[in-house]
Amino acid sequence: MEEQASGARAFEFHGTWREFAPIAFTNLLLTIVTLGIYSFWARTRERQYLWGQTRFIDDRLEWTGTGGELLIGYIIALVVFGIPLGALNFVVQALAMQGHDGGAALLIIVIYLALFFLFGVAVFRALRYRLSRTFWHGIRGGSDAQGFGYGLTHLWKTWVGGMALGLMVPWAMTGLWNQRWNAMSFGPHAFTSDADWRPVMGRYLLYYLAPILLVGGGVVFAAMFAPTRAQGTREEVMQSIAVAAAIGYFIFFVVLGLIAIVFYAAYFREVVSNLSLADLDFRFEARTWDWFKLMIGNFFLVVLTLGIGFIFVGYRNWAFFIRHMNAFGTLDLDSFTQSTTRRPGQGEGLLDAFDVGAF
Amino acid sequence: MSARSEMRVPVWHYDGQSGVRQARELVVAAQGFFLSGAGGETGPFAFADLIPHGRTDGYPQYGLRKMPGWRIGFTDAPPAELAGLLPGKRGYGRLIDKVGLWPAVGVFVALSAVILWLLVTTPPMLVRMIPQSIEKQWGAAMIGDFGGRTCTAATGTAALAKLAGRLGARDMDVRVVDVPIVNAVTLPGGHIMLFSGLLDEAESPDEIAGILAHEMGHVRNRDVLESLVRQLGLSMVLAGADGSVGGYTNALLSASYSRATEARADGFALDRLHAVAIPTAATAGFFRRLAKVEMSLGGAGALLGYMSSHPLSAERMRLFEQGARPGTTASLDANEWTALRGICSQRAAAKERGFQF
Repeated sequence: MEEQASGARAFEFHGTWREFAPIAFTNLLLTIVTLGIYSFWARTRERQYLWGQTRFIDDRLEWTGTGGELLIGYIIALVVFGIPLGALNFVVQALAMQGHDGGAALLIIVIYLALFFLFGVAVFRALRYRLSRTFWHGIRGGSDAQGFGYGLTHLWKTWVGGMALGLMVPWAMTGLWNQRWNAMSFGPHAFTSDADWRPVMGRYLLYYLAPILLVGGGVVFAAMFAPTRAQGTREEVMQSIAVAAAIGYFIFFVVLGLIAIVFYAAYFREVVSNLSLADLDFRFEARTWDWFKLMIGNFFLVVLTLGIGFIFVGYRNWAFFIRHMNAFGTLDLDSFTQSTTRRPGQGEGLLDAFDVGAF
Repeated sequence: MSARSEMRVPVWHYDGQSGVRQARELVVAAQGFFLSGAGGETGPFAFADLIPHGRTDGYPQYGLRKMPGWRIGFTDAPPAELAGLLPGKRGYGRLIDKVGLWPAVGVFVALSAVILWLLVTTPPMLVRMIPQSIEKQWGAAMIGDFGGRTCTAATGTAALAKLAGRLGARDMDVRVVDVPIVNAVTLPGGHIMLFSGLLDEAESPDEIAGILAHEMGHVRNRDVLESLVRQLGLSMVLAGADGSVGGYTNALLSASYSRATEARADGFALDRLHAVAIPTAATAGFFRRLAKVEMSLGGAGALLGYMSSHPLSAERMRLFEQGARPGTTASLDANEWTALRGICSQRAAAKERGFQF
């Protein structure tokens, strides 16, 4: 029996706002009245809906994680990492106050390195957890790795990527993506990922050089307005400088944000389009303009509703992600057997501790 | 029972081992149900072990407890007789489904209110249970020699001791540290630190007396320990809250409580100054100058005052102005004041340091 992923789109999202709204609003209500503890169950309900409304080839995805798992994962992360790190922070303050500046600085560096390592481990384990709770045709994904090796790579690649004035960041990002996904599997098949950093380098350079061009442009712009000094009073000049600075600041971040989207769109197309599972090749088809519409939409959704629209952002992001996902190739269902990877006992606690979003 | 045992309903099925979708019939039996099909019969399975897994094309599907990946789904609406045996739809979570959404919300609101109330009222009780000696040890561990930044000029130290003595702070460790910020802090265990920036900014020794008396209020009320305990409790409980909800609650609660303790310390300071006949007008003057800085921030002042940890300076200025009484004497004479301001001409010998930053 073979499943063909061609013709119609391999991924399809069937959700509607009307169906999702009761889930989102009751989630918000319950999260508030439980001082946030319900958020773990809220996330689970949201994912059950989003996964269940996502068709891949011929059948829907299923989310089988539970709120209890997420809560336990969070508590473990808090006890194992949060409390020691908090205590160390206290020690740093005491050391600094007592004048052991060297010791304090050394400890800060150690904490900093530990955080980078743990962040990598957290990203890896969250992906592993999500795959292990995602079912399709009764089959789930997972990974045999614990993520500690990935944590080390994350530590040094982020470090190296940041060197050379940040020019190697795309290299670090694609390398980490490959390492992460090459350790994952679904059913009997391993994912393979061979994304390359070179195709996204051009857009990264645009992002990289933009601040320099912007500041340069700003100086030229300011110089054109300089003659007003001769006519206006001192206060008028000060005011116009303040206004110009505010406008410049705004333009700087808006333009930089836009160029970041330009880069990220290319990056995401590159990494997903080089991902495959057995004979299935994945493809991500969102262009920069699509990302831009998503971001602007989310922005206005949140701002115009005074923040309440935030509860729909997860829905929008998922719908965006699925609508632009595609896959080509075949999957032999007769050999598509259950995953033998260890099923992790608890949720993405460490990632929660770092307060990072889903995707 | 016999009618039920003959009921056969078509379902699709994944066994959780292979990804091939199988066509089966669900056969209801006395002890539960079987799945029968081309490959034979599996089961029995208990209806109680079924877990609702939402709907596909409008028809329900179920998983099975302890059998990840095992699924059955209906291709048509299940007959009424069978529907009665199937578990209900997936809800808000087991606990909430049992009592219903609105009763659960009511219970949660009540519980949350109790928890928040306990969190803000128990720290003073807890703090009373911590012995003074332990608090002293903590304070000593935190403060050390303050990295050799403690000011030690002899005449200045004598003037400071005189001021502290007059206010009744003999059992406390009052010191000036060479840090150019206009502030004073109290650490656990009765350590009060006046920063040298405060001495530079103050226009009379009575201003320093007012601020010192305020910090003494914190020591007497053990406010620092209390706020440490409260902050710890709040951050532990609200840590589970997703981002902003917990953050705002935490900030509002701790800000309002710290405003209450600051106001209490001001009350203590006023009483102390009256008791030892030091003029309070100077302290009012200090707050007047601070208020001017706040005024220049414009209308944001009121908002800042509401959100910030200390009462608004203008309010505090009025408090100390209204508290002015006749028959007071200056806290230090001119020579002593000059000596106090010069206390940082000498500092405790600094220890060897790794690197400075």
